[in-house]
Amino acid sequence: MTPGRAACGLGWCWLLTCWLALFTPAAQAEPDGALLLEHAQGTVIVGGETVRSALTLPYHWDNTNPGQRGEAIFDFAFPLSQVPDDVWGIYLSALGNAYEIWLNGTLLQRHGTLAGGPDEAAAYNGADAARAPRYVSIDAGHLRALNQLRIHIRADVGRRGGLAPPLIGPQDVVYPVYQQAYRWRVTGSVGVVAFSLVVGLTALALWSSHAGLRRAGRLGRDPVYLFAAVAQLFWTMYVGDVLVEAPPLPWPWWGMLQVISLGVWGSSMALACMELADWRDQAWTTRLRRVLGGLMLLCPIFAWLSLSRGLPLALTVWYGALGLALLGFVLAFLWSALRQARMEQRIVALAALVNIVVALRDLYVFRIDPVYGTNSWVRYSSVLFGLTMGYVVLLRFRATSQQLQDVMANLAQRVAEKEQALRESYDRLETLARQQERAAERGRILRNMHDGVGAHISSAMRQLQGAAGGTAAPARDEVLLTLRDAMDQLKLSIDAIHLVPGDVTALLANLRYRLGPRFKAMNIELQWDVDLLPLCPQLDAGAMSELQFILFEALSNVMQHAQAHVLRIEGHAPPEGPVSVRVIDDGLGFDPEASARKGLAGQRERAAAIGARLQIASRPGRTVVEILLDI
Amino acid sequence: MWRVLIVEDDPQMREFFAASVLRSPELRLESAAAGVAEAKACLDHAAHGVDVLLTDLGLPDGSGLDVIRYARRGHPECEALVISMFGDEDNVLASIEAGALGYIHKDAAPDDIANTILEMKAGASPISPMIARRVLSKYRAMQGNSAPAPLYTAQAAIKTEAFEAEKGMLSRREQEVLELIARGFSYSEIAELKALSVHTIQTHIKSLYGKLEVHSKMEAVMEATRMGLLPQPAAASASK
Repeated sequence: MTPGRAACGLGWCWLLTCWLALFTPAAQAEPDGALLLEHAQGTVIVGGETVRSALTLPYHWDNTNPGQRGEAIFDFAFPLSQVPDDVWGIYLSALGNAYEIWLNGTLLQRHGTLAGGPDEAAAYNGADAARAPRYVSIDAGHLRALNQLRIHIRADVGRRGGLAPPLIGPQDVVYPVYQQAYRWRVTGSVGVVAFSLVVGLTALALWSSHAGLRRAGRLGRDPVYLFAAVAQLFWTMYVGDVLVEAPPLPWPWWGMLQVISLGVWGSSMALACMELADWRDQAWTTRLRRVLGGLMLLCPIFAWLSLSRGLPLALTVWYGALGLALLGFVLAFLWSALRQARMEQRIVALAALVNIVVALRDLYVFRIDPVYGTNSWVRYSSVLFGLTMGYVVLLRFRATSQQLQDVMANLAQRVAEKEQALRESYDRLETLARQQERAAERGRILRNMHDGVGAHISSAMRQLQGAAGGTAAPARDEVLLTLRDAMDQLKLSIDAIHLVPGDVTALLANLRYRLGPRFKAMNIELQWDVDLLPLCPQLDAGAMSELQFILFEALSNVMQHAQAHVLRIEGHAPPEGPVSVRVIDDGLGFDPEASARKGLAGQRERAAAIGARLQIASRPGRTVVEILLDI
Repeated sequence: MWRVLIVEDDPQMREFFAASVLRSPELRLESAAAGVAEAKACLDHAAHGVDVLLTDLGLPDGSGLDVIRYARRGHPECEALVISMFGDEDNVLASIEAGALGYIHKDAAPDDIANTILEMKAGASPISPMIARRVLSKYRAMQGNSAPAPLYTAQAAIKTEAFEAEKGMLSRREQEVLELIARGFSYSEIAELKALSVHTIQTHIKSLYGKLEVHSKMEAVMEATRMGLLPQPAAASASK
């Protein structure tokens, strides 16, 4: 242990000593001017038998008459050298369970019901007057030179009945002694009760409001709060007993409840400490929990034996077993606390140690070598425990709040990250869509190049190769025509970029503009009969390009193969029915069914792709290629 | 006899165009340049001036559009044609706005090249349906009808809207002609439909070209003013 730790421990012990000293009662001694009456002529009535004898006080009923109830009359004779003319008083640190106090034949005070009346059985096990110290005032004139004091008590089994030696003297001497004892036993208890109640209820509220983080950062109820709450609330009941003169339950049941409360307090504290030390899942703590559970189950039996059957040893053994179990645990807990640098565990361990030591002292004083009319210390040392528990609960609550804040911050960050991811995925989708669009357009351009310019150029090359190989006459015009077709196709493809989607009139006009000079050069008369056609919304840029290609093929065929003189281009839109575009020539004609011309298949394919119908009717002198477009 | 300046960086192409020009007895090759700077020098130092500028757009030291603008500014008598591979919408429109009156395809036959030059000098101005449609859209947007104009709605718009000749830059007749060109009709067909001569139609188109050029200059001025490169008109007049 480091010097710092040692100093800390010493400091705690010093504080505890000072604190206890505040309430330590004056020894039962004889102050100046007062008489302590320790000898009496006693009459003890048990089970109908009366025994008279000289008795020395304090008289501890349970020790003298174990397991039996009865009554006792104490007669004190005390002379006074000088009859006082001021107010005197009698202080009794304990007597009961019911009593009467007579002085010189006058009843001074009575609490509870003595036996001997018509309802003798009912007199027992009711209210208990033996809990608080008593003070009886003696008015001036009551005392004589020779005085007879008679104290008559009724005692229940195992209920700490009996009589402490009366202290008689002037009021200003005796009353302060009573006051100090009262403060020690009653006022202090009220403070402890109030304090324990506050701590217990606070811990319970925190537990029930989920305000905790379990281990590994999981949210949930923190069992430390629950055990602290249970301990403090049962302790409230145990300590509060001193304030309840008329208990709601008859003896010995009420007494058994107090014993159980004490056991629950000690066990709950141990459980709370296990949680603090994270020992919950260890094998030895599991065993200890079983031991404590077993003790709690046995508790009513031992308490009953002790409080009802006159076997005080039973309860002594039970207390001892509980005390030893807890002492062992506290030592282990203390050892662990000293080795680990956890402040909360150290503080709690120290408080637990103090309590267990004090409890063992109480066990000795009350049960092993009983002193009548003394106080338990543990009720006060328990405040230390309550304080440390309260402190730990607050520490944990603060830590939990911090963790919750972190969780919230984390959550906000994760939401932001998700949003970012969403944005990115949206961007990716958009990019993908653009890429697809580009790919489609590229595909279209490639296809046009393949079917158009590419086909024409390769055809031109074949023509030239054929000429070079001497298999055919060189056909310069033929090659030129093919290349011209290629060039025209290229120009039309470029024009197609600017065509307004759906505007078939503009498409036809452009075709005429581009190919017109060639028809003229070939002496083909062009007849133009094109109305202003409505927009065809289904034709997008790609479809316009396809339509242009189909029409170019038709016109190219006329130029290359038909040997026509007149070419007529018609574009009409009847009120009902599709838009019709027709290319009509008066050339040689061909058989559209038998013909396996590659261009024709391409035309049909393209027409199907844009949802247009292609109709071809051909005979020598009249060939009609018609494209029907639904609006 | 029209004096022609050819601006083309590809020597083979340049020779082809030169040969095409030389085929026509009505054309004379004034000079052939390979870049913007050289072309400007030729324009400035030509002994008898240049009547026709035939320029490619993509030149090693700049754009053919610069040559056209330079020629239009310094030599208004010089008319420009653009040499274009595809005659595509964007390039043609940009050329017209720079001051060109038409274009010649690179794959055109030699006779066609000479013919196109001569036709231009005779007042013909070819315009494609696509360009006509673009021009219509553009002017309609300027008039506050911001919807792009497919032909179908365009005609209705022309019929219903009273054309504000004093505000807009196209006359009603010009718009009607453009409209029909955009629908694919030839000049002769339009002439028949509108009971006009083909020459009148060509005049309309030529005037449209001029307007496009002027308009593009105005746009440039407005843009420069907006960017603070030129003083605000109000501020400029106040400072006088």
